[in-house]
Amino acid sequence: MSQEVTFWILSTVAVVGALFAVRLRNLVHGVFSLLVFFAALAGLFLLLMAEFIAAVQVLVYIGAVGILLLFAIMLTERVTGDDARRVGSRGWFWGLAAAIAVFVVFLLPAIQQTDLPKTAQPVESSIEKLGKQLMDPYAVTLEVLALLLTAALIGAVANAQGAKPKEEDSK
Amino acid sequence: MSLELLKDILIATVPLLVIFPSLFAFTTWVERKALARIQNRRGPNRVGIPCTRISLFGLGQPAADGIKMIFKEDIVPRGADRLFHLLAPILALIPAMVVLCFLPLEFPFWNDQIKAMRAFAMDGAVIFFFAITGLGTLAVFMAGWASRNKYSLLGGMRAIAQMISYEIPLVLSAVIVVMMVGSLDATEIVKKQADWQWFVFTPWGLMAFIIFFIAALAETNRSPFDLPEAESEIVAGYFTEYSGFKFALFFLGEYIAMFAISGLAVTLFLGGGNGPGAGLHPQLAPWVPILWFLAKVLVLIVVMIWLRGTLPRLRVDQLMAFSWKFLLPLSILNIIVAGFAWHAVQKASTGVQAAIWVACLVIYYTAAKGLDNLTRGKVQPREYKYAE
Repeated sequence: MSQEVTFWILSTVAVVGALFAVRLRNLVHGVFSLLVFFAALAGLFLLLMAEFIAAVQVLVYIGAVGILLLFAIMLTERVTGDDARRVGSRGWFWGLAAAIAVFVVFLLPAIQQTDLPKTAQPVESSIEKLGKQLMDPYAVTLEVLALLLTAALIGAVANAQGAKPKEEDSK
Repeated sequence: MSLELLKDILIATVPLLVIFPSLFAFTTWVERKALARIQNRRGPNRVGIPCTRISLFGLGQPAADGIKMIFKEDIVPRGADRLFHLLAPILALIPAMVVLCFLPLEFPFWNDQIKAMRAFAMDGAVIFFFAITGLGTLAVFMAGWASRNKYSLLGGMRAIAQMISYEIPLVLSAVIVVMMVGSLDATEIVKKQADWQWFVFTPWGLMAFIIFFIAALAETNRSPFDLPEAESEIVAGYFTEYSGFKFALFFLGEYIAMFAISGLAVTLFLGGGNGPGAGLHPQLAPWVPILWFLAKVLVLIVVMIWLRGTLPRLRVDQLMAFSWKFLLPLSILNIIVAGFAWHAVQKASTGVQAAIWVACLVIYYTAAKGLDNLTRGKVQPREYKYAE
């Protein structure tokens, strides 16, 4: 019962957050309502007893993507966020049609085919299971990915090391 | 919602909500006193017990400050975004408070019939901790942006840049402990460090602890990394336009975040609640680890205060270079060294172990020295373009 109530509250918050993210004129307000949507989604994951996914949702989407968005806005001229210009939305009909088409063609069959459990079952130590899965059948993939990411990181730092002071700076 | 559940929730959360804010009040007093002594002043020494002449070294100062904060006028700039201006201090406090739940503190109830309570017992505590501490940055940015003040905005932007940069060494140094324990569960990590097997007593653990502590200083905006609120450059940074109780909330949030991150450092490296007498007396048993834990947290806080009184503030370029070019390579190296050395130490005799330890220390020293030389050659003394 209380689970259902929580579900409805979180879903409402998520939907309203998503709507505001699209509709708000102010860029920064839009980003923050997108973050509210992400947070509600993390809450829904927690409700499904998927703690790890909830944590990653917060870590990646709110912590990284959200801050990246804010950073990008800060680098533009419209730093104050208010924008009087109206974005034309003449294609709304086709957008709606495309959204409905995606829902009917892709999502609906997928939902109908999967056998959904009636209640959320806690997975015994989900992180441990996930780790074992990653290290056992997918060890090579994981290692390659890790190597790639580390190489990218070290490459970025090495690039930064070699940066010479520019002409303008030394003037 | 049953009454039983409500009681459990209260038992789990009320101690956190009582202990840490009171520690906050005490810490502000300690900080003001210590900074004053470092600067050859006396610090607060008037306020004690009201209506008497007993001053108790100014211990009443936090209460006086609190009352002052509540009664101050709440000023919101005309151009400010009122909603965000209001939400920012609240958002600053929430993640810091939530994160306290992930610390391995078990508060006992008054008798043994009700078992010791923890707010969250989940096996991913460390991941959750890092996920939620990151939200504090958003509050700082929100405050800076909502004030519509260029100094505030600059402070907010600095805060974001700084916190992104220092989160990486912070997490990478915590990875070492997770590697050695094989678990993300805070309780498990503490259990592994029983009998003085603290991770800070191994070379890689010590290295990770140092990196962690430096990055933690930056994450909580403590001096020498307090650029987002550098008062000599950008007035007061992101909380320039805040006064009264909203300012107090920021202050509280910052200190609670300090406690939380010191608590994580204690959990990961300093043996959590382990210490002499931690498992001795059955009646007192639950209390002794908590006292040890809080004592270790306070020691770390005192070190933070001491650093604040001692070190000058970094420049923006130094701040970035230090994180990306020094701490980050060092923490990656530390992970590699720890991986090899930990496996080598497992089955080695004492002599070989000592040799490995010395080898690790030599590697760290040369690496740090080399990175320092690489960075140092390129940092030019500042040239002032607009001021002579």
